[in-house]
Amino acid sequence: MTGRARARGRPPRQAPALPAGGDAPVQQGVPGQLHGQRQPQQLRVPPAQAEEPGGHGRAHSGDAGPQERRPGLQVSSGLQDLSLRDRGGRRRDFHDLGVNTRQTMVHVRESKTGFSGRMIKLTTNHFVLTSRPHWVLYQYHVGYSPEVEARRLRSALLFQHQDTLGATHAFDGTILFLPRRLQSKVTELLSRTRNGEDVKITVTLTNELPPTSPTCLQFYNIIFRRLLKMLNLQQIGRNYYNPSDPVSIPNHRLMVWLGFTSSILQYEENIMLCADVSHKVLRGETVLDTMHSIHSQVGEERFRDTCAKELIGLIVLTKYNNRTYRIDDIDWDNNPKGTFRKSDGSEVSFVEYYKKQYNIEITDWMQPVLISQVKRKSRNIQGSVALIPELCSLTGLTDKMRSDFSMMKDLAIHTRLPPEQRQRELSRLLTYIQKDENVQKELRNWGLSFDYKSVSFTGRVVQGEKIFQSGTMFDYSPQFADWSRETRGVPLIRAVPLDSWLLIYSRRNYDAANTLLQSLFKVSPSMGIRMSKPSMIEVDDRTETYLRVLQQRVTPDTNIVFCILSSSRKDKYDAIKKYLCTDCPIPSQCVLARTLSKPQTIMTVATKIALQMNCKMGGELWSVEIPLKQVMIVGIDCYHDTVSGKQSIAGFVASLNQPVTRWFSRCVVQSRGQELVDGIKACLQAALRNWSKWNKCLPSRIFVYRDGVGDGQLNTLVNYEVPQFLDCLKSIGTDYSPRLTVIVVKKRVGARFFAEVGGGLRNPPPGTVVDTVVTRPEWYDFFIVSQTVKNGCVAPTHYNVVYDTSQLKPDHVQRLTYKLCHMYYNWSGIIRVPAPCQYAHKLAFLVGQSIHREPNLLLSDRLYYL
Amino acid sequence: MDKNFQEEFKPVIKFEPPLYKQRHQFVKDLVEKYKPKKVADLGCADCSLLWMLKFCSCIEVLAGLDICANVMKEKMHTLSPLPVDYLQPSERSLTVTLHHGSVAHKDPCMLGFDLVTCIELIEHLEESELKKFPEVVFGFMAPSIVVISTPNSEFNPLFPRVMLYRHPDHKFEWSQAQFQSWALETARCYGYSVEFTGVGHPPTGMEKVGFCTQIGVFFRKSPQTGESVQSEKPTEAVYKTVFKAVYPSLKDGKYLQNAVISEVIFTAQIIKHRLMSKREESGDDPERKSKFQHSVDSFSDCLGKLVVEKHMEPFVSGNEVYIPLSTIFSFPKVNRLCGTFEKLCKLIAGKVTLSSDGSAVMFNIEHENEEN
Repeated sequence: MTGRARARGRPPRQAPALPAGGDAPVQQGVPGQLHGQRQPQQLRVPPAQAEEPGGHGRAHSGDAGPQERRPGLQVSSGLQDLSLRDRGGRRRDFHDLGVNTRQTMVHVRESKTGFSGRMIKLTTNHFVLTSRPHWVLYQYHVGYSPEVEARRLRSALLFQHQDTLGATHAFDGTILFLPRRLQSKVTELLSRTRNGEDVKITVTLTNELPPTSPTCLQFYNIIFRRLLKMLNLQQIGRNYYNPSDPVSIPNHRLMVWLGFTSSILQYEENIMLCADVSHKVLRGETVLDTMHSIHSQVGEERFRDTCAKELIGLIVLTKYNNRTYRIDDIDWDNNPKGTFRKSDGSEVSFVEYYKKQYNIEITDWMQPVLISQVKRKSRNIQGSVALIPELCSLTGLTDKMRSDFSMMKDLAIHTRLPPEQRQRELSRLLTYIQKDENVQKELRNWGLSFDYKSVSFTGRVVQGEKIFQSGTMFDYSPQFADWSRETRGVPLIRAVPLDSWLLIYSRRNYDAANTLLQSLFKVSPSMGIRMSKPSMIEVDDRTETYLRVLQQRVTPDTNIVFCILSSSRKDKYDAIKKYLCTDCPIPSQCVLARTLSKPQTIMTVATKIALQMNCKMGGELWSVEIPLKQVMIVGIDCYHDTVSGKQSIAGFVASLNQPVTRWFSRCVVQSRGQELVDGIKACLQAALRNWSKWNKCLPSRIFVYRDGVGDGQLNTLVNYEVPQFLDCLKSIGTDYSPRLTVIVVKKRVGARFFAEVGGGLRNPPPGTVVDTVVTRPEWYDFFIVSQTVKNGCVAPTHYNVVYDTSQLKPDHVQRLTYKLCHMYYNWSGIIRVPAPCQYAHKLAFLVGQSIHREPNLLLSDRLYYL
Repeated sequence: MDKNFQEEFKPVIKFEPPLYKQRHQFVKDLVEKYKPKKVADLGCADCSLLWMLKFCSCIEVLAGLDICANVMKEKMHTLSPLPVDYLQPSERSLTVTLHHGSVAHKDPCMLGFDLVTCIELIEHLEESELKKFPEVVFGFMAPSIVVISTPNSEFNPLFPRVMLYRHPDHKFEWSQAQFQSWALETARCYGYSVEFTGVGHPPTGMEKVGFCTQIGVFFRKSPQTGESVQSEKPTEAVYKTVFKAVYPSLKDGKYLQNAVISEVIFTAQIIKHRLMSKREESGDDPERKSKFQHSVDSFSDCLGKLVVEKHMEPFVSGNEVYIPLSTIFSFPKVNRLCGTFEKLCKLIAGKVTLSSDGSAVMFNIEHENEEN
């Protein structure tokens, strides 16, 4: 159960006392090998590291044993031996340290910076970390004889020797970091437990780490978190929040805490702290409260289903400890009277346990029990934890809440901070750090300090793109990054006629259907869309009726099916989409009647709908100049279905023509937990087949924009997915070797840039490219700010070129990427990611949310998923 | 005791639950029984006892004292309020403070406690400190109850590895007789009575060695002696505060106000939603209805059994929805938080949009229609 189950075991060590002088010279940093002649039997065990990229930690502490190091020798430690953490649980390599992709790309080894565009002065949210000259971090291995399991006890026993070790230390149970060198390389200490047992502790120097070693980077992060804790900030999940000054939004029973995200990393020239303001949305109600209100809303019949839909996947906080759990399941057959087995083997009921342990009385004994899976990847242990709804508070927003316009509006007031305010909040944090005596003392003791002024540098704003539509060329205002006005009433590149189409509506939406039709007839001629009168079909508002009508009336000649829906009830939408995407592959357009109800916006809405329908039928809207020839652009994104089926969907799209206005798409439905696309090979093969059908040859260049790569997954992507691409290309033919570029696209990054304009801070304009100072030296990476935001701070998108044989200059890769951000047809403006990523996302989302299996391939050359 | 005997008993001397847990449980039981409001733990070390006590709902003030600041700091953050404590402030107030200092020194911050615990403390004291200890704890602090636990040296031979003392830092370990005579003398001197007990039962057949940990529970005889002592010896602060946490509580006006506002608005929203959905169900377009019929919808079914006067019912007028405060006040949660209607009005004044006469919560629904 909960915490106790987390006590980690470690691999058996036969003779834990480590020899003085280190007679076991152990190399480190070589994944796939378990070292130490003390455990010869372990050599046959499959290597743990190879399975878990970025995995490092206690489970491997056996190979982090004593190392033969000449003092003074600067050796950057591998990460494999680092397991230091500031709280329970295994720490993933969130920052993808140790993935060095740049070194394999010769053409960017010297420089990865672009040159085009005008200069712009930028400030960021990075702060330089400095250490005193000749700074060294001493890493020790701590062994216990007899072996002591509990981390707490290990820690308590060790720090009985505070006099010897000093007051400044960081210890995770196995590895000890000290800011100074102990007198001897091996220190033996004797401690006594409460039971009067003597334990011999051997502290062995294993490493002397320079400030830039990856181990140190993780160490800095842990120390920084310690500082935040000293400032009395509360840890929720990975970030720290200030609980003393919450914003409450009683209308929605929400509370917003202001907090900070922080990470310390090696950037181009400096080790820097990247700090950002973060908001945590908390809810003033327990899971049980929510269950009650769900019950009163939907009634008994749909209660369990609705609970599952709304609650699974949410993160909860418990009343009694400071941990967060994800709700993975609800056990309806259990209740608080049920029992579980404690670590000592005794059975106890939840009611008794919470009473005894925390003095908490559970009042509702009939409530179900929530199940949370506790992952411990490295050892393939899947434990689950049972939680009582009454004792859990919800955090974050549900999808339902996200779609609540008024709620999001109320929230945005508090969470969308404009640049100036955002920097002000940040500097408040740094002032706390600077002013707090204890924090400063801790920093001093470690010999570290921060530059409290954020880093400034120059970026570039690349030239705006020209938008081409049927021989006409448009500029757009960079301020809005939108050309819907400019292109209004201009013929589309390729308009697909609506010769035969269905318009399905229910009786109460008769007016809406007519209004829509009139408006469509008004807007479509100027776009060049030829439109016939549709078959108008009135239905009663039931899912079965819709489906029956579709079965009876859709013919092979039907261009598109248009449905006007009364409510945003998902089941009807899902049923229609599922039928028309799989069994009967015809593009479809669903619109809520409410959207059509406002006379003042109906023309705008009709214009957008006409454009969208045209795309769904294979039309093309506009283009930008793509200077590369014979190029195929690929976009990949993933959708993880957490509710039903627990499957993941990978959306895959690839351009089909030279101006990249037409897209081929496939998707892969994969089972749970499989993060990275397995079926990519088949997708890519199909895409190449189609490309060659359209172009009568194979592409000579392929660009893959890969979205949906989580923190810490980069290694797997580089070592597993990229080879799949290469394999696939090889399989096409021996004489076929196109140039391949793989770019990992990341939207959720901590970096923020602010343009210094007239003494104030503004959002940087679209087209701002950053490829110095705050990028990573070991990567070929850059940031682009492509979109604009009305309020709050614009988030740059991070691009990491992990594989590149294109021989293109970085400037060209940056420009191409920015161009592709102009090509998303559902938005007449620039978006945050290249269009292929957004298309792939849309596809994966539609399949994951509504269809749950691969759509019919007959649709694959159209943007039916918009 | 001969060697064979010891070997024989080796496996027996494992306490389940572990002895320190039994000691903590002992204190917890005592707290449950006497319901002290203010509890101090002297020699609180890693704060584990304090952590356990923070869940006891009778306690409003918890203090810890230790001679070693580092050992306290190691785990002191476990004494901080949890996020949920802020989300759902509790009825009781709770302040947790950690002091760095010695039990041989008097500090006024230790005055006024109901229960003072000294768990495995005295055996760590130097002779000079031990001498001053009774005067500080019993004479100066003078709480109603003092709990003192210490190893029973008669039990030691049952531990195979213990040579002299159980812990290298122990300055002494007493037999039952030694502890009891010290305790009785101290109790007599400062007007306390003392009861002896312990945790860690000896193995069967060895009952005469007594508990592994011996415990003395001291009760002050006269209820108010403490005060005279206090006024006699005004001392200045010598302890250093290393940690202080004030738990959010509804006793604090700020949290109470937040809780009330949030509950009032939430309740009003529920009533409004039901009112609106009822209107929609009735089939007519709400906008048209309010425009042409100027109807005043009444809404009482959501109140269940509560009887509310006709003019006090929620209603819609034009684009505004009015929900009378008296209706909201009749909801049990709001009622319990505020106590009186006057207090409700006072707490939400200026924070919630009310009708012109201040009798009802007002919502403007014009915007909502637009957005939806």
